[in-house]
Amino acid sequence: MEILELKNISKNFGAIHALQGVDLAITPGEAVGLMGDNGAGKSTLVKIVAGNFSPTNGEIFVAGKKTSFSNPLDARNHGIEIVYQDLALCNNLTAAANVFLGRELNSGFGFFSRLKHSAMNDHAGELFEELKSETRPKDLVERMSGGQRQAVALARTRLSDPKLVLLDEPTAAISIRQVAEILARIKQLKETGHAVILVSHRMQDVFEVCDRVVVLRRGYKIADKPILKTSREEVTGLITGALETA
Amino acid sequence: MFTYDRLLFLIDHLIWAILIIVFVFFIFQSEHFLTERNISNIMAAAAVLGVLVAGQTFVLISGNFDLSTESTLGMAALFGIWMIVPAGVPTNGNGILMNPYLSIILTLSMGAAIGYAIGCLITHGKMHNFIVTLASLIIIRGLMMAFTEGAPVSGFNNPRADVFYWLGHEKAFKVPGFGNIFVAVIATGLIYFICHLILKHHKFGRELYAIGGNREAAAALGINVDRRIRQVYLLSGLLAALAGWMLAGRVVSVQSNLGEGFIFTVFAGAVIGGVSLQGGRGTMLGALGGVLLLSTIDRGLNLMHVSVFWIKVIQGMIILLAMLLDAQRVRLRELSNIATSEKKL
Repeated sequence: MEILELKNISKNFGAIHALQGVDLAITPGEAVGLMGDNGAGKSTLVKIVAGNFSPTNGEIFVAGKKTSFSNPLDARNHGIEIVYQDLALCNNLTAAANVFLGRELNSGFGFFSRLKHSAMNDHAGELFEELKSETRPKDLVERMSGGQRQAVALARTRLSDPKLVLLDEPTAAISIRQVAEILARIKQLKETGHAVILVSHRMQDVFEVCDRVVVLRRGYKIADKPILKTSREEVTGLITGALETA
Repeated sequence: MFTYDRLLFLIDHLIWAILIIVFVFFIFQSEHFLTERNISNIMAAAAVLGVLVAGQTFVLISGNFDLSTESTLGMAALFGIWMIVPAGVPTNGNGILMNPYLSIILTLSMGAAIGYAIGCLITHGKMHNFIVTLASLIIIRGLMMAFTEGAPVSGFNNPRADVFYWLGHEKAFKVPGFGNIFVAVIATGLIYFICHLILKHHKFGRELYAIGGNREAAAALGINVDRRIRQVYLLSGLLAALAGWMLAGRVVSVQSNLGEGFIFTVFAGAVIGGVSLQGGRGTMLGALGGVLLLSTIDRGLNLMHVSVFWIKVIQGMIILLAMLLDAQRVRLRELSNIATSEKKL
């Protein structure tokens, strides 16, 4: 059964039609590559799945149930975790603080609650170890390299056990060694029954880990094919417009 | 890299070194400086400034500004006393002769309400915080003048007014070497302690830092940014009213220009204390250092019989210095970060 199904999703910003009638379904254990040129509507689609805004038209189904997300917390509660393109990190906070941002561990309740600093530091440390990153939980994020910042953003997705992990251009600002790590991470997610949407410009990454590729152009979905049934040339053609559909 | 870090550390903790140097300087300048009475006065003045700086610190950390607090302070002092004392000269109250305890509650509530209204204008109204708080500064000051038609309101020798004056006027106990410790000083100390706990150990504080650090990220991660901003302005207004209540007890006669110009000292205190104007950074300990430094300098210059006008010039220069320091901090931090991150993969 599909973890997530988008039916006929459109999004307009005034006169701008960012997305037009996009259908997308993804099942557990599947990795879908979402590709398209700048302005194709990828970011908008990501933001809708993330709960940042609602579609102008269309429906969203999570695990078969019709849902709508009123905010990012909603999407998270439905088992969707996102790693944003700019990583959504606060430079002035520590790595652990960033990992737990929005869902801090507290003791007590309401006005009299207290942040559990050691618990959060320890747990974040464990998550970084699992990701094989040298990131230290108490370091400020602003002192970190691209790869370490990436690890912080990724660690967030492991706080809950999400059904779907959406990665928006994760390999854009990191080293080659880290790219291999991210791809290994995606494979691991697939093996453990999670669904992954990988938004990427990099053909080699999509063809290495994804089972399907979806191409957007000017707000429309113009292709949705299994990787094995397409080629890099075909996908490139679709993105640039050399090919109308496939 | 080490030098950037060491320099940053120095600047951040410079405030205490400067405080000591300034202290020693004034000791040599006036024989009256190192007296119990003087130290006690410095601390009492610092108490009022401290409360305002505490509120501003929270607002600054969230990445906002609140220019209105000097007016809320004045309004609170004026309103509180105005409700209690009889009409007519010399008290110039409004004649309602309200119960002083009720007046205190009303005054503090008014401060909170002003703050919350400002917060709503900024979040729901989507107006810029600088403009809204600047307008509020002017409007509230205008209202103060309108209420009293410029006449000073006071409750001298009025036992009900004395209840209102208690916070700013009353001495708690004597400490050898420090003289009389005013209740106000204890109150401010308590406020700083609580604020520190909130900033460091409570979700509210953590979210304020996040909003000040990267507002979009905070929103994307589910933090209700608008709600926190309204709350922080409410807090700022409440603390400003508290400061006004405190100040009333110190001055007894409240003029409608009470607190005018104070806002600059408040910002100077916060910035000198390491609270960044860009948001996301600052601690209560740093803010305390800034408050003590400014109060010490003000008092010391007074004792040296420096003319009020020159004191103003010096205060302006201190504000400039504080801004320069903040700019340097930002620059050093960036350099330090680049250097550190380049060491790793």
